Amino acid sequence: MDTVNTWNTTQHFWLVVLGFFVAFAPRYIPIKIFTQRKIPEWFNEWMKFVPVSLFTALVVKDLFITATYQFDPMAHLPEIISAIIVGVIAYFTRSMAISVVIGLVSVFLLAMLI
Amino acid sequence: MTKQVPDPNEPRWRRTLQISMPLNLSYVPIGLAAGVLLHAAGFNTLLTALVSVVIFSGGAQFMIASMLTINAPLLSIVLMLFFLELRYALLGSSLSKYLRGQNEGFLFFFAVSMNDENYAVNYLKFATDKKWTPTDALQVEHWSLLFWSVSNVIGSLIGSALKINLDVVHFALTALFLYMIIMQVKSRLAILVALISAALAVFFLMLTKSTLGLVIATLIASFLGFALEHELRVRRPKSRFLWRLHSPGSGGEPVENASDESL
Repeated sequence: MDTVNTWNTTQHFWLVVLGFFVAFAPRYIPIKIFTQRKIPEWFNEWMKFVPVSLFTALVVKDLFITATYQFDPMAHLPEIISAIIVGVIAYFTRSMAISVVIGLVSVFLLAMLI
Repeated sequence: MTKQVPDPNEPRWRRTLQISMPLNLSYVPIGLAAGVLLHAAGFNTLLTALVSVVIFSGGAQFMIASMLTINAPLLSIVLMLFFLELRYALLGSSLSKYLRGQNEGFLFFFAVSMNDENYAVNYLKFATDKKWTPTDALQVEHWSLLFWSVSNVIGSLIGSALKINLDVVHFALTALFLYMIIMQVKSRLAILVALISAALAVFFLMLTKSTLGLVIATLIASFLGFALEHELRVRRPKSRFLWRLHSPGSGGEPVENASDESL
């Protein structure tokens, strides 16, 4: 994590351009198609599970997988404890801003302690 | 919340601004954070402004920042962005019934500026307010875009004055995803799908030694969820897995709890 990115501005620019297309397509194509015809049920039923699956996979990677892709449940202890705190805060407050800010403060403090 | 009687002479832009204000304000801290993170990842202020307008997604921008700090290859970042943004397909299709009859240009601008939170506001307004028009909805999107982009730019400028720990920065993304999981989990089956995805993610990340493992885990877990729900509905409609979960705070103040309505 300590390596600073070595890309130049042109590379960043192309990343933004490609990012635009992959962000735009899932937003636009369904709106375009389904303003004209009915949404097939199976499509909605399947897409419904994409966010929860993806977000869980991402969180698992951040908390339990090392930079060399080994499974290590103890490698990120401050993050794991903070994650539990964030989960509880998010559940009760349902506020994105409060959850993220408290998460950042707690991981900052725990990283100093542990 | 007290119900205000709308003044018929009040201009629409003021009314849409008022409706989008809780959302706009909640974008300020996240937008500042995104700007600071992108600056830490090497993005200049101009590109930060550009990315905030053309991608306009907290999750995607946090992901760009954190993947750049680990020097992930371009293709890998773009692929992860695609899967991250795939959820918008669902949001777009569920709003589409309110956008029938709009012209090509309108649909383009509406799609570009749609994201989780303004979707939630607009979906709620369309569902509850008969006078809510697609133009109002587009204005809400544009107000939230304005607050988001300005916060991003300010964050980027603050970023140059700050020295930040990248590990802590990276956790902003983890916390954001955790928040989104909590908002998404609305049935027992969703918890099961999350657990399956967690196990698959560990397995495929170790197997592929790349973020491709996340993509494979997501595809399999979401498909299993879809297949399981279908099976249960057909064979065991009273299964406990189909029970919906109670969550505190859902119900009141839907605008502030915007992401709650994402699914």
